[in-house]
Amino acid sequence: MTLTLSDAGENIVAGTFARAMKRAGEALGSMSGQVIDVQTPLIKRCSAADVLEMAGGAESVVLAIYLGITGSLQGHALLLFAPPDAHRLAQILLAGLLGPGELPFDPTADELVFDELEASALQEAGNITISAFLNEIGMHLHEPVQPTPPQLIIEMAGAVLDAVLLDLVTEADQVLAAKTTFSEGGRAIDGTMFVLPRPDSLQVLLDALGAFGL
Amino acid sequence: MTLTESPALLVAGIGEMVMSNSPDGHLIAYGLGSCVALSVWDPRTKVGGLAHFMLPNGPANAASPVKFIDSGLDTYLKAVEAKGAFLGRSILKAAGAASMLTIGGGLAIGKRNAESLQAALIERRLTLTAVSLGGTAGRTVQLDVADGRFLIKSLSSVSEL
Repeated sequence: MTLTLSDAGENIVAGTFARAMKRAGEALGSMSGQVIDVQTPLIKRCSAADVLEMAGGAESVVLAIYLGITGSLQGHALLLFAPPDAHRLAQILLAGLLGPGELPFDPTADELVFDELEASALQEAGNITISAFLNEIGMHLHEPVQPTPPQLIIEMAGAVLDAVLLDLVTEADQVLAAKTTFSEGGRAIDGTMFVLPRPDSLQVLLDALGAFGL
Repeated sequence: MTLTESPALLVAGIGEMVMSNSPDGHLIAYGLGSCVALSVWDPRTKVGGLAHFMLPNGPANAASPVKFIDSGLDTYLKAVEAKGAFLGRSILKAAGAASMLTIGGGLAIGKRNAESLQAALIERRLTLTAVSLGGTAGRTVQLDVADGRFLIKSLSSVSEL
């Protein structure tokens, strides 16, 4: 189906998504014990090519944590980090879990290699962050919205995103993309969160928000 | 001195095609995951094309002419012919169609893309000389129009197909 959301409907969805993305940033902040600055979310209707542009270009290398969104709202959620930023975030998370002391981190190692501890800490961060987003959305819905188990992948952004985009553009040319940037000033960690809902599942959210017929 | 007809580097974005007959032309598609790229190169006229297909089938689409393999393949082949390639002697190579993520119960869109492209080419009596399809790694591909070299770059390696 095509994306038939009206401008008014889109604004309502955008407002709800923006609040949920703030919650997601707060959840990442409390998990990591850091102050996380959440940029005002950008929510727009755009082409697949635009989404790749928003992610920093198809060839930029990212660590991505992917979770599918299932239940009454359906779609895809991703956290993207430049590999060095992902290592820094993993170190903060592990220090919080394991306490102070020597961490198994070799700064000379290949930045594209993440050990099992780092990978599992980052997957958990993805889980907590996306779940906080979905919990906020779920408050408006009568049925639960759940994430799938997180998948971690180190790849070119285009390669990660195209599978997600292909799932959304089979019958439409545009997708609704919500993006925000999380920044942790002290350690210079920037991450990007993307939520790409299936257009046909947005009506459920609009109805639940009382925006019938928009 | 003459100016080259096209800028040296032409990018086939997602759902797009590019072609060139310029001696310093390079055609590139960045970060292919489940998408599939098809290069066509005529060794005599030195004309090349690169298409970045997204999905197996769907209606023709003006904004993304090669979004779908079934409705976009002929559009692409005609455009490369119009640029000066003769399909009968052209070298065809395909890359991409990886499985990046487990989405919606493992919908294998990459696999379907690879199968659709191969079937569509057989239908048109065209043969792929070389392929790098499937797997779980992303690919950036580049066609050098002067000599037909087709390079595939992944995060871990660069190889010639």
